Amino acid sequence: MSTTATTPVPSGTFARHSYFWRRLHSLTGIVPLGAFLVEHFASNGAVLSRTPVESYGNTVKFLNSLPYVLVLEILLIWAPLAFHGIYGLWIAREATPNNRRYGWLGNWGYLFQRITGAIVLVFIVWHVWTARFAGVSLPDHPFLSYSKMAAQMLNPWILAWFLVGITLVSYHFSYGLYLFAAKWGITVSPGARRNWGWICLIIGLGFTYAGIASALAFRGIHIYPMR
Amino acid sequence: MPANTVRLRIKRQAGPQAPPVWEEFEIPYRPHMNVIVALRDIAENPVTRDGRPTSTIAYEANCLEEVCGACAMVINGRARQACTALVDRLEQPISLEPLHRFPMIRDLQVDRSKLFNDLRRVKAWVPIDGTYALGSGPRQSPQDQEQAYPLSRCISCGNCLEVCPQYNTRTDYVGAAVINQVRLFNLHPTGKMHRAARLDALTGPGGIQECGYAENCVKACPKDIPLTDSIAAVNRQMVGHLWGKALGR
Ligand code: HEM
Ligand code: SF4
Repeated sequence: MSTTATTPVPSGTFARHSYFWRRLHSLTGIVPLGAFLVEHFASNGAVLSRTPVESYGNTVKFLNSLPYVLVLEILLIWAPLAFHGIYGLWIAREATPNNRRYGWLGNWGYLFQRITGAIVLVFIVWHVWTARFAGVSLPDHPFLSYSKMAAQMLNPWILAWFLVGITLVSYHFSYGLYLFAAKWGITVSPGARRNWGWICLIIGLGFTYAGIASALAFRGIHIYPMR
Repeated sequence: MPANTVRLRIKRQAGPQAPPVWEEFEIPYRPHMNVIVALRDIAENPVTRDGRPTSTIAYEANCLEEVCGACAMVINGRARQACTALVDRLEQPISLEPLHRFPMIRDLQVDRSKLFNDLRRVKAWVPIDGTYALGSGPRQSPQDQEQAYPLSRCISCGNCLEVCPQYNTRTDYVGAAVINQVRLFNLHPTGKMHRAARLDALTGPGGIQECGYAENCVKACPKDIPLTDSIAAVNRQMVGHLWGKALGR
């Protein structure tokens, strides 16, 4: 054997247990983060009501009335989000993309998963800051939630930023579902991956539509019938 | 350019540290020639297109029938075997580059030892050594044979590793070829006896977790090995294996 045998093996606890951390990263993308995304888009559907101020306010009030809401938030949202997001950036740093040379679909999916992840991280931090921590406290004044969000959406730049964030998070999550199935050995055959891929596409389009419908409803634009 | 010649652009590098330079060659055309024939013709008369004598080009080739795996290189921007790269089907000038995910030795020659070391790491063989004859092993079912045959066609060329965006020194990833061998030998009736050790090796640094599922490997494999199926299949074995270890089988 020649002298330049192997590249140096990464050492340290993190590298030695990287299978565990990687699969935890993969899992946190589905539960709790993906599950929270479903809940979040569904709750925001309250704005599609004919009396959005009350419906939206009631939803926020209900969520904040859950017992142990802070514990739930920390364990089911903040901690997994911080882990998935920061470790996701770490994973993205390891990539050596070659899309110009090899323009295959999966290769673009690989690159976009990393790019969308990074943009989504910025979007979520901004969104959490402006909606939750800055300005009027919604847990204390749930019935101001509608006007607080509507005020943001009235600014066309902020609305556009929301549309970008919604689309990218929908993409990142639905393609993540496709990746998850392969990484956990669920979709072994090409046929299984193809079928699951179509289902993921439909899920992604559904999320994009639902999210955009809610965002536009704050401006009185209804692409989904009011309830 | 006269039609009875072939033009090539070759990326050359005198050694691992030397700067890369491109040299252009124009050689007589031969019917049905492949890239290896072109390289051999250049070796007979190493003169560049503008008439400058140059050093002979280092490259590896052996079987000339896509079985040994030695002649993998990047031809017109794509990783493939030079022996099955027919000049008639290539746009000219034909550009030749070394695989760039392996340590460079010289010109088109790279050091693929990492691949062979990783195969060793995962025990990609059937254990048969012992102090006395154990007799014949269990038979493999026809269904398993059918599944194993396509997996067994790997020629260790490294094309799947060259196109993989995760195969680099940051991850130390073992790559699709090695994971496919784990699937192959875990399927073998005697090879199965090392199943746990192989799977454990794949949870180590550079193990199967480094796969980002870009699915390039399967597109680049000259032997049409279902590599993305193999990665998913070994992922499935891994889930069962690790639950078994954590909770008891
Ligand atoms: C906060 C910023 C985020 C970053 C930087 C990020 C980054 C990443 C990266 C790099 C991957 C690819 C992992 C791999 O292929 O090994 C990934 C996968 C994934 N992400 Fe994210 N992500 C973020 C947020 C989210 C959010 C909010 C969700 C859920 C709604 C999510 C769901 C997923 C899923 C389901 C996967 C697939 C897991 C797998 O590959 O098995 N991510 N993420
Ligand atoms: S799996 Fe295919 S591309 Fe990879 S080394 Fe084997 S033959 Fe070459």
